[in-house]
Amino acid sequence: MNEIYTRNPVIVLREEFDDWAVLYNPDNAEAVGANPIGVDIWKRLDGSKSIGEIVGEIKQEYRNVSESVETEIFEFIEKLAKRGLIGISSTL
Amino acid sequence: MRMPRELDIELTAKCNLRCKYCYFFENENLDYIDLTTQEWTRFFDELGSIGVMKVTLAGGEPFFRNDLKELIDSIVKNRMRFAFLSNGGLITDDIAAYIKKTGRCDSVQISLDGSCAEIHDVGRGKGSFAGAIRGLEILKKYGINTPVRYTIHHFNVDDLGNAAKLLLEDLGLKSFSTNSAGYLGNCRKNADEIMLTHADRIKAMNILVDLNQKYNGRITAAAGPLAEAKYFAKMQRAFDENAPAFAKGGHLMACGCYNNKLSIHCDGGISPCTMLPNINLGFINKDKIIDIWQNSAELNQLRQREKIELAGIEFCNNCDFTDYCTGNCPGLAYNLTQKVNHPSPDACYRNFLQQSSAL
Repeated sequence: MNEIYTRNPVIVLREEFDDWAVLYNPDNAEAVGANPIGVDIWKRLDGSKSIGEIVGEIKQEYRNVSESVETEIFEFIEKLAKRGLIGISSTL
Repeated sequence: MRMPRELDIELTAKCNLRCKYCYFFENENLDYIDLTTQEWTRFFDELGSIGVMKVTLAGGEPFFRNDLKELIDSIVKNRMRFAFLSNGGLITDDIAAYIKKTGRCDSVQISLDGSCAEIHDVGRGKGSFAGAIRGLEILKKYGINTPVRYTIHHFNVDDLGNAAKLLLEDLGLKSFSTNSAGYLGNCRKNADEIMLTHADRIKAMNILVDLNQKYNGRITAAAGPLAEAKYFAKMQRAFDENAPAFAKGGHLMACGCYNNKLSIHCDGGISPCTMLPNINLGFINKDKIIDIWQNSAELNQLRQREKIELAGIEFCNNCDFTDYCTGNCPGLAYNLTQKVNHPSPDACYRNFLQQSSAL
């Protein structure tokens, strides 16, 4: 939860009309779908906040978030990291 | 879709060949000029800013541009992938190595229309076969994906078997695709000489179906005799079984290309498709792609095309197959009928049956 992630600058965020989005890696043509909260998290991964801080912000800003939100955010970030869409820039 | 996923770009009006069935040349809607490096790179910056994922570079012959490395750099900088459509003749080790190094090239498609120079060069000019093979070998050496497109015409139908052997056995390609010379661009001038006759078309269908069986489906087609052979058989089967209408049947659906991409012509003109240069949506660096994509009245009207019922079109009167028909390519429809909201007559199954019974 203390890791600070930064977006891979080569990744393209394509936001669609229905609020869903695609994170596209032109280096390998892989794409990852993201729901509106996923897009929000993506935008917060700017190298200034830890995962814990992002989870806190999301919990505060979204009403009726499920109890599993923390796990879901962590899994989403893990998925992005595994695919090279983000990388750890530092640790708190 | 908020913005186009990809764009087809005619990067240059120049070409080292003058193929008899080229869709690009002899088009009264285009100015055959080349934009500058700066005009293209400025445009690529715009595409990058809106999240376009891929550009397919054609022409003319895209390898004719001596600023190609600079243009590739700009595409890569703007986080896009790219592909080429080429005749292969101008590909060098130097540019192939450069392309490979980017890691962003999906493919360089080479046109090869015969198993030997005597056949291939009939449609594309002397020396073009040697150029295509040389290009293919260079690309293969650098590990670049090189799909091959075989355009079937009157003079190479009988060579399909030899070509399949060359491409799939001798050169070891995984597959190759086919289409046929269509009534577009330069082909309109040479239609009587070069286009498939109805007998040629039936012959091509039969040969391709047999070859595809022999080569386990390694010959593909989105249009032309092989695609028609498959689709017509499907339509006939559905009709015989009184099957319900196909999901996309009964309307002018066609490929729906205008829902995914746009085309840019050599003069910077923007069209819904390379086959529809008659519909000008604006010009690059003057009109914004995202505005055109979201707000163009012409484009939105074209997207409504799929709501037009074939049953209401005079051409389709009393046709038994409308429930299983999509009207095919609007570009070909326009070139043959001067109407976009019309089925393409040369892809009509009823016409095909009538012509076949007259043989």
